[in-house]
Amino acid sequence: MIDGYSFLQKELLIPIVLGGLVVLGCFVWKEWKTSKGNSKQFVLNTIVSFIAIFSMVITFLEPTKEVEINDRQALLLTEGHTENQKDSLIKLNDGIKVLNYNPKKSIHKELDSLSNVIIIGDGLEPYDFHLFDSVPTTYLPNEQRKGITRLSFNEKLLLGNDLSISGSFLKPKKGSFLIVQDSRNNGLDSIQFNEETNIDFKLNARPKVSGRYVYRLIVKDSIGGVLNTNPLPIVINKKEPLRVLILNEFPTFETKYLKNFLAEEGHEVIVRSQLTKGKFKFEYFNTPSVPVYQFTDAVLKNFNIVITDAETYLSFGKTMKAAFEKSISENGLGLFIQPSDMLFNRRQSDSYFNFKRDAIKAQKLTAYFSDVEKYPFSFEEQLLVEPIALGGVTNMAGYKQHGKGKIATTTLLNSYEILLNGNNEIYSSIWTTILDKIAKKHNQVFEWGTTTPLPKIDESFKFTVRSNIEVFNVLGENNIPVAIAQKPILPNQYSGTVYPKRKGWNELHIENDSTSKFSYYVFDDSDWSALNSVKSIDANKKRFSKGFQKNRTVIINRPISPILFYILFLLSIGWLWLTPKLTQE
Amino acid sequence: MESGKIHLMKFSRRWQLLSYAESVLYALGIAILFYFITKNVLFGLLAFVVSLSVLLVIKKPWKYNLNTTSAYVDAHIAEASFSSGLLLQPENSLSNLAKLQRFKISEVLSKTLSTLTPPNKIKQAFMVMLGLMAIGLAIQKSELLKDVEHVFNNPENEQAIQFTATDSVVNRRIIPIITKQEIKIIYPSYTRKGISNTNDPNIEAVVGARIQWILEFDNEVSSVQMEQMGEVITLQKRKNGYQLEQLLSESGFYNFKFKNEEGVEFTSDLFSMEAIPDNPPEIEILGLEQYTYFDFSDSKKIQLQSSITDDYGLNDAYIIATVSKGSGESVKFREEKLNFKESITKGQKVIKASKKLDLDALKMEVGDELYFYIEAFDEKKPKRNVARSETYFAVIKDTVTEEFGVEGTLGVDQMPDYFRSQRQLIIDTEKLIKDKPSITLKEFKSRSNELGFDQKALRLKYGQFMGDESEMEEAPSVIETDEVGEDHDHTEDQENILKEYSHDHDGDNEHNLVPAQEADKEEDPLHEYLHNHDDPEESTLFEETLKTKLRKALSIMWDAELHLRLYEPRKSLPFQYDALKLIQEIKNSARIYVHRIGFDPPPIKEENRLTGSIKDIDNYRKNETKELDRPYKAMEKVVSRLEQFIQQESDFTEQDKVVFTTAGSELAQLAIDNPGKYLQVLQGLKEIENNTGRIMDNYKFVQKGLLSALPKAAQIPGAQEGYTDEINLLFLKQLEVYD
Repeated sequence: MIDGYSFLQKELLIPIVLGGLVVLGCFVWKEWKTSKGNSKQFVLNTIVSFIAIFSMVITFLEPTKEVEINDRQALLLTEGHTENQKDSLIKLNDGIKVLNYNPKKSIHKELDSLSNVIIIGDGLEPYDFHLFDSVPTTYLPNEQRKGITRLSFNEKLLLGNDLSISGSFLKPKKGSFLIVQDSRNNGLDSIQFNEETNIDFKLNARPKVSGRYVYRLIVKDSIGGVLNTNPLPIVINKKEPLRVLILNEFPTFETKYLKNFLAEEGHEVIVRSQLTKGKFKFEYFNTPSVPVYQFTDAVLKNFNIVITDAETYLSFGKTMKAAFEKSISENGLGLFIQPSDMLFNRRQSDSYFNFKRDAIKAQKLTAYFSDVEKYPFSFEEQLLVEPIALGGVTNMAGYKQHGKGKIATTTLLNSYEILLNGNNEIYSSIWTTILDKIAKKHNQVFEWGTTTPLPKIDESFKFTVRSNIEVFNVLGENNIPVAIAQKPILPNQYSGTVYPKRKGWNELHIENDSTSKFSYYVFDDSDWSALNSVKSIDANKKRFSKGFQKNRTVIINRPISPILFYILFLLSIGWLWLTPKLTQE
Repeated sequence: MESGKIHLMKFSRRWQLLSYAESVLYALGIAILFYFITKNVLFGLLAFVVSLSVLLVIKKPWKYNLNTTSAYVDAHIAEASFSSGLLLQPENSLSNLAKLQRFKISEVLSKTLSTLTPPNKIKQAFMVMLGLMAIGLAIQKSELLKDVEHVFNNPENEQAIQFTATDSVVNRRIIPIITKQEIKIIYPSYTRKGISNTNDPNIEAVVGARIQWILEFDNEVSSVQMEQMGEVITLQKRKNGYQLEQLLSESGFYNFKFKNEEGVEFTSDLFSMEAIPDNPPEIEILGLEQYTYFDFSDSKKIQLQSSITDDYGLNDAYIIATVSKGSGESVKFREEKLNFKESITKGQKVIKASKKLDLDALKMEVGDELYFYIEAFDEKKPKRNVARSETYFAVIKDTVTEEFGVEGTLGVDQMPDYFRSQRQLIIDTEKLIKDKPSITLKEFKSRSNELGFDQKALRLKYGQFMGDESEMEEAPSVIETDEVGEDHDHTEDQENILKEYSHDHDGDNEHNLVPAQEADKEEDPLHEYLHNHDDPEESTLFEETLKTKLRKALSIMWDAELHLRLYEPRKSLPFQYDALKLIQEIKNSARIYVHRIGFDPPPIKEENRLTGSIKDIDNYRKNETKELDRPYKAMEKVVSRLEQFIQQESDFTEQDKVVFTTAGSELAQLAIDNPGKYLQVLQGLKEIENNTGRIMDNYKFVQKGLLSALPKAAQIPGAQEGYTDEINLLFLKQLEVYD
C-alpha cells in the first residue's frame, strides 16, 4: 500500500474504513454534545476517539509489511521420488519446506514465497515449466525406470504394409518375452530377453484388416504371466485401386506378368503394345475400352501411373515428352520407365537418370535370401534421385522427383522370373514398393498432425492442421468447435489445443466434411510409465540444467503484530470513558 | 466229519444267506423308489447296484464264519456249555476229556441247532422295502417330482433342437417347442445299412446318404427354414409337421429358423453335418515276397493269399497278371485276368481270397517274367471305388544266358542273346540298393558287378546302332522302330506293296519342290563308288541329331557301368536314368517322324510373299475384368465392424446382417476343415447375426476368432492419400533449379 505496507484484508478495506468513519462521526457528535462549549476538551476527545477508531480499524485490517528474505527453500516431490532421497535432503537442509507436486493442481501460490526449489523424482510436466521461470530450481533426476524407455511405431499405416515397432527395453527380466498382440490378444511377433541390460528391439506385424485398433505390447515372464501391458493405437487404411497405363513398343514377358499381377489385384490397367507401324494391341482390364492414342493432359490426368518401356518413351517427340513432363510435375503422375540397354546408354537429359556400369549381373536380395538378375549398371548419385529399397537393396531402383510427380526406373532385369520361380511374395513386394512410391496420390484436403506423443485425459493435446482451404472449422467431441490459430508466416498451417475428456479413441473433424477426420488415442495415466518417466526426466534435465543456483531474494508481506494497536485502542477508549467521569466532579 | 461241525457250518451258511438277503431287500426297496421317482429302469438298476454294494460293505455278511457262529451258538444254547469251539479244532490235537466233550456237543448241536435261527432282521428289511415301494408309488401318483423325472427320463435333452428368439424382447412369450424331432439317415442301398433314425442333429453319414428331417411343433409356426452354408431351404409342410430331405454330398453346418404366429423369428444353434467318404477297398497280400525267382527245374507255383476289406462291402476282386516275354527293348506283354479260387460274394466286407498261380499254366518259359496285382472294387454308386495292390513279380531265371565267359583264345566276346533293358537295369539297381542291408557284402558286390556287366551289354548293343567297332555280331540291317517288333516282317512287305500306290511323304523331297535324285548326286559324286568304312560315325543307321543323342547315351552308360563296377549302385542310378531318358527320346523321335506324315502346310501364295503390306492388319482389342480374389472380404468387414461395436461407436444395423451372413459362410468353409478351432466362432457369429448373442464378450470372442482365421494381408500396390503443401512444392522447384 504505502511503501511496503499493506493489509491482509484488502477486500474489506472500504467497508471497514466507512464503518470506522461512521463510528468516528458518532463519537465526534457525542463529544460535541457533551463538551458543552469546552472546546479544548472537545478537540482533545475528538483526537483520542480518532486514535481509538483508527487502531480498531487497523486491527481489523491486519496490516503487513514487506520484508526481504533469501532462505526459504522448498523440496518439491514429483512422481517416482524415493523416500531415501527425500529424507537425506530434509536432513541436509534444515527447515526445508516439503511440497507435493500434483500436475492437476497449481502450485503457483506456494512458489511465490520461495527463494529456492529442489525437485526430485521424475520431474514436472512440461506445461508447468513456466511456473519456475523466476524461481532458482535444481532438479535431481531420478534413475531411469525399468521397462520400455524408447519407442517408435507407425501409428498410421496402409493395409498390406508392416507395422514395425522399435525401441529400447531397460533391464528386462531375464527370460521374459516382449510380444505384440492385435486388438484381441492374438500374438503377432515376439522376442525373448536373455540378458538384463538395455536391449534394443524391433518387432514386425502385418495387420490383416483395415480400421482403428488398439494393439498391445505385452511383457510376459517365461511362464506366461503378464508383467506389463501397454496400448499401441494404430489406424490402418486401405489403399485405393490404381489406374495404370502401360505403353510398350512390343509385347514382353515383363509387361505380361506385371499387367496380370496388377489386373488380378483389381487395378484398372490399360496396355497398349505396338503390333506394327500405326497398329496397336489394346488390352483393358477392369475398365471399359477407350483406346489411348494421344497423350494429352486430359488423358493422362486419369491415370495414377504410366509404365512405359524405354524404347517407347525415349522415342517420343518433344511435344509428347513435354506433355508427359507437365502431367508429372503438375498433376503428380507417376512414370515408370521399363529399363533396356537403350535407357542406360542415353544422356541424362534424355533419360533423367545417370548410370554407371558396374558389371554385376545378379544381386542378392538381403531381405529374402534370394538372387535376382539385373542389368550391369547402377544408379549414380544425383541430387533429386532417391533410391527405392527393394528387398533390402538400395541401388537397384530409384525415383526422381519432378514437381509433384515422380519418375522411376530400375536396373532389375526379368523380374517375372522371380514369379516363375514361385516367389510370388518377393515379386509383389518389389512391385508394390516401386509403384507405391511413385503412384499419384489422391488429393487430401487436410493434413493433421500432433506434437503430443501420449495424450492423456485433462491434459493439453496440441494438434496441427494443414490445408490450402482458407476458411474451415474444426469440431471436437460432441461437435463442439475448437479454436485454431493460423501461423503468421505459414498461412496454410493452423494449430489448436484440446483437453480430451474421454479415454480411448477421440476424434477431431472438419465441419461439413465427413472424410477429414483425425483420430487420436487418449491413454490411461498408467500407460507407458517407463517411457513417460524417461521423457519427463529428459525434459526436466534440459530445463533445469543450470545446476545449483544462488537463492533469490523474495519479498514477502509479514504481518505486523496488532498488539500495539490494541493497547492504543484500549488506552484511548479508556480515556474517553474516564474523562466524562473526571469532568463531572 | 462229525455231524456237529456240519450243523455248525450249515448254521453259519444260513446266517450268511439271511444277511445277504437282508441287504438285497433293502437295496431292492431303494431301487424301486428310485425307479418310481425317475421312471427310468436304468436309474433303478444303478440305484440297486450302488445301494447293494454299500449295504454289503456295511453289513459284511462274509464275516459270519465258523468262529463267530460257534461264539453265537455258545451264547444262545445252554446245552452247548461254551464248548462248540471244540468242534472247530482238529480232533487229534485235543485231550481225551476234550474229545469226550466234543463228541457230546456234537450230539447236542445236531438236535438243537436246527431249532435255532440265526439273528436277522429280515422282516424289518422286508417292511422297509414295502415302505419304500409305497412311498415311491405315492410320489408317482402325486407327480410330486415331475421335473426330476423330466430331467432324468429325457436322454435326448441335450440333443433336442433348442430355439431362441432373434428378438430378445419377446423372450418372455411362449416359444414353440419341438414336440417331435426325427432325423432319418437313408443310407445308399449298397451300404446295406438301410435307414437309421437319430435324434442327434449333429449328423455323420457316408457321402451319398439322404437325410430327412421331420420337425413337429406344439404351436402354430410358419416359414420353417434350414440355413445351410449361406443357402436357405424351406421345409415342406406335412400333415402335422415340416419335412426336408437332402442329399449329403459334403460336410457343412446348418441351423433351423422359423416364425411363430406373431411373426417373431426363432433360430436354433448350429449343427454339423459330416460327410464321411466311402473309402476304397484295402488289399493286403500275405506272405509273399515282392520278387519270386524260379529255376527252370522248380515247380513254378505261387500261392497267393490276400485279404481284401472294404468299409461297406466289396463288389468284385480279381488278379491282373501280365506275362512279359522276350528280351531287350522288344519285349512282349500278355495280360490276363485271373479269378480267385473263392467266388466273390457281393457285399462282403472282408474277403480272404487265394489263388495258386501256376507259371507253367500261364505258358511261361525260361526268362519270362510275370507281374501281377490284385484289383478290387467296392459297391459305391454311381462310380465304384477301385483299389490296386502293389505289383508282385515272378521270374523264371534264364540260367543259360546268364552265364558269361570270356574265352581268352577267341578275340571276340560272345554277346548274350539276353540283355536287360535300361529300365530293367534301373529296377534291379534300385532293388539292389534296397536289399543292401540284408545281403552280404560279397553278394552285394557280385550283384553290382553283374549289373555293371548288363549295363555294358546294353551299351554295346546300342553301340552297334552307332556302328561302333563292337565285339558283337554285325549290326542288324533294319532298325525296329516299333517297340513290339514282332509284326515287323509283314509291315515291310506291306510297305513294298503300297509303295507303288502311295505318295511318299517320308522323304525330304515331299512336295516335289526339287527334282528328285539330283540333289543326291551333287552331294557327293564319289558316294556311289565309295564304301566308307573308315569313319564309324558315317556308318550309322540314324539321322544326324539322333546320332549325337545316342553318342551321349552311350557315354552316360559308360559312367553308369563304371559306378556299378565300383560297387556304387547309388551313384550309378542318376546316369542310368539319364541314359533311359535319352533312349526314350531316341525312340520317340523315331515315332514323331512317323507322325509327320500327316502334315500338309497350306500352299503359299507366291504373289503375296514379302510384299510388306499390312493393310489387312487391324488394331487388336481385348477387354477383361478379372474377378478380385478375396475369399475373406466379408470377414474383414466384420472384424472392423466388430471393433466399432466393441469401442461402442456403433450398433448392429440391418445392413450389417448381409455382411455377417456372408462372413458366416466364408468362415464355415474354414470350419469344415478345422471345426475345433472355428466352430465356436461360427456359432458366435451366427448369434450376433440373429440377435441372440449381441453382447460384448461375444463380439470380442468372435473378433478374436476371425482375426486368427484371416490369412496374412497381401502386399499390393495402391493409391494413397497425400497432401501437397505449397511450401513443399516451392522447395522442390528450387531444388530442380540446382539439378
